[in-house]
This record gives sequence, structure tokens and C-alpha cells, in this order.
Amino acid sequence: MNTRNKILTAISILALSLFVFYADRHFDIYVVRILNVCAIYTILGLSMNLVNGFTGLFSLGHAGFMAVGAYTTALLTMPVDVKQQIFYMEPLIKPLNAMVLPFPAALFLGGVLAALTGYLIGAPALRLKGDYLAIATLGFGEIIRVIFTNTQNITNGALGLKGIPAITNLWWSFGTAAFTLLVLASIVNSSFGKAMKAIREDEIAAESMGIDLFKHKILSFITGAFFAGIGGGLLANLLGTIDPKMFNFIFTFNILLIIVLGGMGSFTGTIISAFIITIANEVLRFLDESINLGFIVFQGKVGLRAVVFSALLMVVVLFYRNGLMGTNEFSWDRVLDKNFWLKPWLKLRRIPLRKGGNGK
Amino acid sequence: MNPSNLHSISDQITMPEQEALLTAAKITMRFGGLTAVRDFNLALHKGEIVALIGPNGAGKTTVFNMITGVYKPSEGKIYFMNQDITGVRPDLITKSGIARTFQNIRLFKGLSVLDNVLIANHLHLESGFIQATMKLPGYRKEEKAFREKSLALLERVDLIGSCNDKAGALPYGMQRKLEIARALATNPKILLLDEPAAGMNPREANDLTSFIYQIKAEFDLTILMIEHHMDLVMDISERIYVLDYGITIACGTPSQIQNNQKVIEAYLGVDN
Ligand SMILES: Nc1ncnc2c1ncn2[C@@H]1O[C@H](COP(=O)(O)OP(=O)(O)OP(=O)(O)O)[C@@H](O)[C@H]1O
Ligand SMILES: [Mg+2]
Repeated sequence: MNTRNKILTAISILALSLFVFYADRHFDIYVVRILNVCAIYTILGLSMNLVNGFTGLFSLGHAGFMAVGAYTTALLTMPVDVKQQIFYMEPLIKPLNAMVLPFPAALFLGGVLAALTGYLIGAPALRLKGDYLAIATLGFGEIIRVIFTNTQNITNGALGLKGIPAITNLWWSFGTAAFTLLVLASIVNSSFGKAMKAIREDEIAAESMGIDLFKHKILSFITGAFFAGIGGGLLANLLGTIDPKMFNFIFTFNILLIIVLGGMGSFTGTIISAFIITIANEVLRFLDESINLGFIVFQGKVGLRAVVFSALLMVVVLFYRNGLMGTNEFSWDRVLDKNFWLKPWLKLRRIPLRKGGNGK
Repeated sequence: MNPSNLHSISDQITMPEQEALLTAAKITMRFGGLTAVRDFNLALHKGEIVALIGPNGAGKTTVFNMITGVYKPSEGKIYFMNQDITGVRPDLITKSGIARTFQNIRLFKGLSVLDNVLIANHLHLESGFIQATMKLPGYRKEEKAFREKSLALLERVDLIGSCNDKAGALPYGMQRKLEIARALATNPKILLLDEPAAGMNPREANDLTSFIYQIKAEFDLTILMIEHHMDLVMDISERIYVLDYGITIACGTPSQIQNNQKVIEAYLGVDN
């Protein structure tokens, strides 16, 4: 990175911090909550993109890893008296019933436990390929839910957890999202990340170049699970209530939609589309309710939003397979290049591009 | 049992009295009812260029796949530097020093030319995953060395001008070259080339011949090559194995092969 780009990056980070600082104090609760969700979806999207987009593994177990992280963080941050109150069917087992950790430690442990689960699932499942892996991981996600529904003395079963302290704020969510991006981008650009991309491009060739397929797949899978767990933990301490039903396949589907729309193999795309999808999810809420436009009453249907999103996924897969960004990433050089902005316009008017503009 | 003594029946010429680098002892590959390769024996000595020829479907690529661990032979053993490598995982075989190219080019098409070569260095990386993610000095040093080595290699094969292009966007001939460069980046002792001249005109095939000679000398290689261009094969190889329907029908020097009645009938006769 040259000096100019370093300065620009520093300025952007400062601007983002100022924005968070301002939003934290002045935005209304509803908007802050949506922004928090945007950041958490970014974390979830980034981690799923590492596995599905960069390593080419068709994994659908993300909601399961989030659930592990969410429950771990929640149980470790809930005050003792709240735990006693809500576990009325069966008391919470020792030592969890008396254990309260600071939020960062709880969040980290949530990630670690999710990563461990990732290893236990990945070790057998990653020997499967393509569709089989998808089915196996999908099955795992459902199994986790069934387990969480039935381990009354740990998860409080179907009743779920309530009164989780609302610690997640914009600093936590945006800070963690930035940290996730930093770590994952570093992985992707390292020799290990290149090996992961090689596996995505051609497994047979990758293996014949000396890449241990299983080792790199499981590294990617565990890392993905770790950050999914962290995302889950942040979500639990944002919402205040969680239950097993929340972490169903629809959740995984939403994140899949984010990475497909943004571009499999582009973190930039994931960030943009995490914000688009989350905000659209709020804006399109009216589809699930009926609205009265005065002259006409629009009868909404519960689930119509899901239909719209499914249709969106189909359109993207059919017509814009590369999503918003393909496998491209944001770079200052590209954005500051005049041709980058002029290109679509020039293309429209069939004017040839100016030479030597793109810094190669 | 000394593995290098096992190539008796099909060897119709005297072999150099030297330990073979790579030995295949009666390897057989069956796919269900089909026997793609039967009792194949091979002895590859250090510094040799040996060709494997035969009509389409004779089982040549299957031999490569067995040597490189893609398939585990149904019967027989493969030894590399006196180690039994039968059924060992492909990545471990490459690590031990056998690299290959593919008949239908298998580059990492969506990645840059440079990345393709860098990836072939990954097997030499000593830093762990965490060290690499944290970009610790030890890792940085290794990464820098890989980069320099890869750029030098691309310079050597005249691909340096395209090092930032996507591999899939290169013209066909350059893709073949890149695939060879990528294999070289793994630091092989033995290079297996599966039809490197496929789709090339006689002039390009000629250039390739001298290219193969040069890299063999520069990188101290032993080469086993599958090829259909007869001129190239006769020109370049010291010994030739001929397969037909999975059976080794001849083995010898180019002139012995050219005059072998069985070969003329089964292969050259049909093909010319
Ligand atoms: N994985 C497989 N499963 C079943 N049959 C296979 C498999 N691989 C190869 N074969 C069969 O084995 C035989 C030998 O194939 P192989 O690819 O080794 O031939 P080849 O000599 O390389 O031919 P070509 O000159 O066309 O490349 C063929 O009949 C092929 O169909
Ligand atoms: Mg072949």
C-alpha cells in the first residue's frame, strides 16, 4: 500500500468512527438497531463467504454455528438471578448457573465453541463433495436446533433465553465487523488463502500442486464457524431473547442471499449487500402486513417478504451469477481511477477508454 | 525384493545398471469390468527423458494417475527413490518430488498467472496458519522469497508480461507453458507431462521440444512424457514405452520402436 492509500484508509476509518460516535448518541433506537443488525450480518456474510465463496465449499450450516455462539455468549453474560428466574422448568446446570464473564471473554468463548463444533462437523463432512456437503451441513444445522430444544437444563429448551443483557452497541458491532474483515482479508491474501482459492478453482489441480485438501478445507471451515459464533453472540446480546427456532434454515438462507448478491469471493460485495439486504428486510416489512393507502387496502401476507427474497436470489443466480462485485475487491487505485467512473458512461456512448488510466 | 529388478518381461532392451528413480512394478488398474492398464512395468532413471505412447484410450493417462496418487492401483507397487508410494495421497507425492501437467489443462483459471505459480510454492511454506494470518516476520520472509522465485520463473518462461492477467485469459500455448512453470515451482525431481504438445502446430511443437530440453537441464529433471506428436517423441526421448489396450506391447529406443512390428500394427500403422 502506498502512502496516499494509507492516508485515505486512515481517513475512512476515522470517518467511520466519527459516524459510529455520532450515531451512538443521536440516532433513534430503531435506526441504531438496524445498523447493528447490518454490522452483524456483515460478520456472518464475511465468514460464510470465506467458506463458500473463497474455498468453494457448499456449506449450509451457518445458522447452527451462530446458535452455538449465541447460546454460549448469552449464558455467560446473563446475571445469576435472571438465570434462576427463567430456568423454572429445570435449573441450569453447574457451573453455568453461577458463572458470569465479561462480554469480550464470553464472545470469544462463543466463537471458540462454534469453531470446535465446526471441527467436529467438518472432520467427517468435508470428505464429502458439492451437494453432499450441502446436505450434510444442512442436516447439522437442524440437528443443533433439535439438541438445543431438548437440553432443557442448559439451553432452557423451547422456552429460549430471556433477559440477556443488551451489551451489543454500535461500537461492538462495527468494531467486531472491522476486526473480522481485517482477519479474513489477511487470511485470503496469505499463502493459505491462495491455497483455498486454488481448491475452489480446481480441486484435482490443487491437490496435485501439493495442497492438503482436507487441512485447508477444515481451516477455512473452522475460521468461518468461529466468526459465525461471534456474530451469533453479538446478536444474542443485541436482541435480548433467543430461542432455537430463530436459528432455522431461513437464517442461513438470508446469509447465503447476502454473499450471492454481493459476489461469491468478494468481501467488498458482502459488506455492501449485507447492508442492502438488512435494510431491504426492514423496508419491505410492509409486505408482511396489510397497509391502507386510503383509496386501496393492500392485503399483505405473512411470508411474502421471504417470497420476494427467494425470487431475488433466483434472479441473481440466473442473470447476474457474479453478483454485485464478482470476485473483485475495493481498492483506492480503482476508485480513484477516472475510467472506473467513466467506463459505464463511455461504454454507453461508445467512446474508447483513455489509455494508461488504470495504473497497471 | 529390489524393486528395480522387476521390469524383466516387457523390457526388450538392456537397462542401464543403475538404481531407478521411479519404478512401477506390475501395476494394474481396473475400473469395474474394464482393465485400463495391465501389469505395467516402468523404470525411470535419473536424468532420462522417457515417452509413453499408444493409441487413444490405451491407458497412458491412467498410468500417470496411478503414479501421482489420483488412482490407487488395483495391483502392483510404485517406488520412488526406493520408497513405496503406492496409494499415497497426491499432495504428498507432489511434496516428495513428482509434479505433473494435465492433458486437459487444469490451471486455476480465475486466478492471476502469478498466483498460479505462487500456489505451487505453498507446499514449501513452513509458517503455520496463525503466523501467516498475523503476517509475522518469519512468514513475510517466506512470502517474499516465494514471490521472487515465482517472478524469476515466469521471467524464465517468458510469461512475466502477463503475470497479472487471469490464467484463463491466456492463449492456449501460453497456458500450456504456465502449467509447466507451475509444476516446476513445486521443485520436482520428476516431471510428468501429459500431451504437452496437444493442439500445437509442428513449429510450436518444435519450440516446445527445445523448451523441454532446456528446463530439463536447468532444473535437473527426469521427465516422463505422454505425447502423440511422433516427430517430437522420436526426437526427444531416450526410451519409449508403448501401450495398447492397457498392455505394454513394446519398450525400447526410438529406432527399436520405429521398427517394431507390433507397434507398427497397433499404433503407427493405424495412426499414419
Ligand atoms: N475414472 C475412470 N473410470 C472408468 N474408466 C476410466 C477412468 N479413467 C479412465 N478410464 C478408461 O480407461 C481407459 C484408458 O484411459 P486413459 O485416459 O488412460 O487413456 P489414454 O491413453 O490417456 O488416452 P488418450 O490418448 O485419449 O488420452 C479408457 O478406456 C478410459 O475410458
Ligand atoms: Mg490421456
